[in-house]
Amino acid sequence: MDTDLNLTQHISNRFNEELEEVRNLALNMGGLVEKQVSDGLKALLKAKSKLGEKVASSDYKVNAMEVDIDEQCTLILARRQPAASDLRLVMSIIKTITDLERIGDEAEQLGMYAIKLADDNIKPSQFVELRHLGEHVKEMLHDALDAFARMDVEAALQTIEASSTLKEEYDAISRQLILQMMEDPRQIKNALRVHWCARSLERIGDHCENICEYVVYLVKGRDVRHVSIDEMKAELEE
Amino acid sequence: MTQVIEAPDIHQAIKQTVGSPFTHKPKISTRNVDVFYDDKQAIFDVSLDIGSHEVIALIGPSGCGKSTYLRCFNRMNDTIQSCRVTGEFRLEEEDIYARGMDPVLLRARIGMVFQKPNPFPKSIYDNVAYGPKLHGLASNRAELDEIVVSSLQKAGLYEEVKDRLNASGTGLSGGQQQRLCIARTIAVSPEVILMDEPASALDPIATATIEELIDELRQNYTIVIVTHSMQQAARVSQRTAYFHLGKLVEVGDTNQIFTNPQHQLTENYITGRFG
Amino acid sequence: MSNKMSHHRSNIEQVRHSLKKRHRQEKRFILLGKLSVLTGFLFLAFLLTDIGIKAWPAFQQHWIQLDVTFDAQILDVEAPADEAALKKGNYRGVLKKSLYAMFPDVSARRDKKALFKLISSGAEYQVRDILLADPRKLGTTQQIWVLADDDVERFLKEPALRESQQSDRRIKDNQVAWLDQLSGQGRIESQWNWAFLTSGDSREPEQAGIAGALRGTMLTILVTLAMSFPLGLAAAVYLEEFAPQNRWTDLIEINVNNLAAVPSIVFGLLGLAVFISFFGVPRSAPLVGGMVLTLMTLPTIIIASRASLKSVPPSIRDAALALGASKVQTVFQHVVPLAMPGILTGTIIGMAQALGETAPLLMIGMVAFIVDIPQGITDSATVLPVQIYLWADSPERAFMAKTSAAIIVLLLFLVTMNLLAVVLRKRFERKW
Repeated sequence: MDTDLNLTQHISNRFNEELEEVRNLALNMGGLVEKQVSDGLKALLKAKSKLGEKVASSDYKVNAMEVDIDEQCTLILARRQPAASDLRLVMSIIKTITDLERIGDEAEQLGMYAIKLADDNIKPSQFVELRHLGEHVKEMLHDALDAFARMDVEAALQTIEASSTLKEEYDAISRQLILQMMEDPRQIKNALRVHWCARSLERIGDHCENICEYVVYLVKGRDVRHVSIDEMKAELEE
Repeated sequence: MTQVIEAPDIHQAIKQTVGSPFTHKPKISTRNVDVFYDDKQAIFDVSLDIGSHEVIALIGPSGCGKSTYLRCFNRMNDTIQSCRVTGEFRLEEEDIYARGMDPVLLRARIGMVFQKPNPFPKSIYDNVAYGPKLHGLASNRAELDEIVVSSLQKAGLYEEVKDRLNASGTGLSGGQQQRLCIARTIAVSPEVILMDEPASALDPIATATIEELIDELRQNYTIVIVTHSMQQAARVSQRTAYFHLGKLVEVGDTNQIFTNPQHQLTENYITGRFG
Repeated sequence: MSNKMSHHRSNIEQVRHSLKKRHRQEKRFILLGKLSVLTGFLFLAFLLTDIGIKAWPAFQQHWIQLDVTFDAQILDVEAPADEAALKKGNYRGVLKKSLYAMFPDVSARRDKKALFKLISSGAEYQVRDILLADPRKLGTTQQIWVLADDDVERFLKEPALRESQQSDRRIKDNQVAWLDQLSGQGRIESQWNWAFLTSGDSREPEQAGIAGALRGTMLTILVTLAMSFPLGLAAAVYLEEFAPQNRWTDLIEINVNNLAAVPSIVFGLLGLAVFISFFGVPRSAPLVGGMVLTLMTLPTIIIASRASLKSVPPSIRDAALALGASKVQTVFQHVVPLAMPGILTGTIIGMAQALGETAPLLMIGMVAFIVDIPQGITDSATVLPVQIYLWADSPERAFMAKTSAAIIVLLLFLVTMNLLAVVLRKRFERKW
């Protein structure tokens, strides 16, 4: 593998600028989504309905950014007919922002449930497992975006690996909630809400995993979706 | 081009061809080809196989030697006095540069289409009939008629010119002229067709027609095409070979070359970067 | 900002200022060009008119009608005479007798001589030919038109001479009176001079024609064409298409180019030394003339043909070669036919050049005075330009008109050849 990715050095300076711009927009969108997730989690855990409202009502910004970046990418495809690394960059940005938008949607869900749970006076202390899961997901999202920003395949692979513990945590929360519901049927409503939040966080983890796979595709030109992490590593070492 | 890497560095950078230059049962195989113009070397140690019934595109910046290399296949370089070719060229098992190989026979087996449409200033019929007459492929007028018509049909030109086969070939549009040249080439029933930037002088619609034609011709012929248009290479070829300063840098599946080239120079060229 | 604007404006001012100057220059140049063309045209027109006016008399000829009695006694032949005897007859006496009969009062020996000088010295042959054509006319009296003498001719054509002093002209007053009498009787007539085109050269201007020179020219040009076209074409095709590019071909190319600049008289010397002295080709003949002119026109043809071959697009060669045509097939089936218009033009220019050439032919003896019309390429002959040169050198005034007339014929010859070149060019020209 001799290629190293750089956006500059095109004979067309405009092309350099366009690629740089669309990449920066994607990173900005990532930052916004990251903030949404962390705010949503905070509203949920600290029972702050105001913050929850803010998160829920800010999702349009994420959506607007997705539309904007999508359009820019379409224009680059039409005007520049990018090939090789440029093509992979544009393709991975288009896919990444789709995942970011979904993460934004999940953050919105977190905000909505935060409002409902706060209204029902559910104490935050009950969500200690959820907090654990949330911290983990936040970290994973941060790592994924970092890997994307730095085009770092190593970091992306580590992030993908970390997602397996996420699943275990989610399973643990599920089991705990089922027990709770069996013990006290009156808690079913709230338990389900908590479960939906856990589910959202787990989904965010999945999206992070996708983003990391795009990073591998972007840098290595290999499509590593739907393969196990060991196969992935083996293929990349070829 | 401000950041041209100095030639010695390039030669250092291209130690060996990246990718898969060899195929199973090649139509044409070339090994360790060097081409010189007087003392100046134009091609350095190129080894490449052309598979049967495939379209292989040779791409690279101007002066990279791809046209020179292409013209070695049917020994068109023979006419250039200062040109010297070493290495091995084989058409199936026969040595193209063997003493016993008659270039006339070779060119009947390996046809060529040029950059600028170059019909003879004769009628459309005579243009197509010239090759078959030359090689005595038709024993009577009826057979010749049949060859002309079927060649024009294969070149997708027959419907447009069937009413004026006696009109001058130079009166056709650029795209039609190029298809006439293709018809003229296939009238000799070659096994391989070499195309030297066949659409570079044509407008996009004529280009699309030619590209479509190339795709159809692949059924019956092996095609080697030199092109400056990377999109064209990406559209029409199954394999792509990237030349740089007379060296074969990378060969591979066209799909792979255009999404994930292995060599930095290939990457730079197809993404339009300096270097 | 306003500063910038004003700067901008001053720029436009400057451009406008210089623009005027540039336009002036352009107009001046166009005017100059037109003037040059006009000057050239005027010179040409002047030349042609001058030649035309001077040549006109040569195409007109005055004839005098005589009542000639073919008296066997004067002729000194026996009445039914054989041809040989008739040929030797004294036709001079017959003519004299008929003239004296018309002017009975002329008795002095000097006057009789002057009277006889009114008619051309060639008249006796004319009369002889009439009798030879029909020997039965022996003994009869015929009305015969005979040529007037060149001095009479000139006197009749130039009315100003009549007014001048007797001492200033070659026709004396008594001769004028006789001419007036003849003219009064309707015995002097001006006719279109066909003889100029049908007869050979002569010392007597009224009898001199260009048929010999014309035939000589045609034969010489034919020899030149037959030798130089194939030779030139073959040389050009070989040099351009087949010869390897090395020091030898460079040398040959330089020499061919230099040869085109060699003074033509040198070729004449060469012809004299090689063809006549060494190979013994008959001198003064169209054959040797053609050979010398071939040497002279070859470089022109080779250079023009090579340029024409070079201008055939290489893509045509590629196309033929790639289809499997051999080198010779490519050259002769595609390149040469496409280069043909240029080759033909070059050849015809070379021929026209040869047509106007005098100097080398002087060296090989084609300057000789030849009365007979040449029948083949080995007969002695002369050519038009040499004929013009000879006539221009002759002392008789009437030859001046002949010279101009011959120039006109030569010019017509050249125009015809150039037209032929244009026609051939149009005919063979192909677009690609």
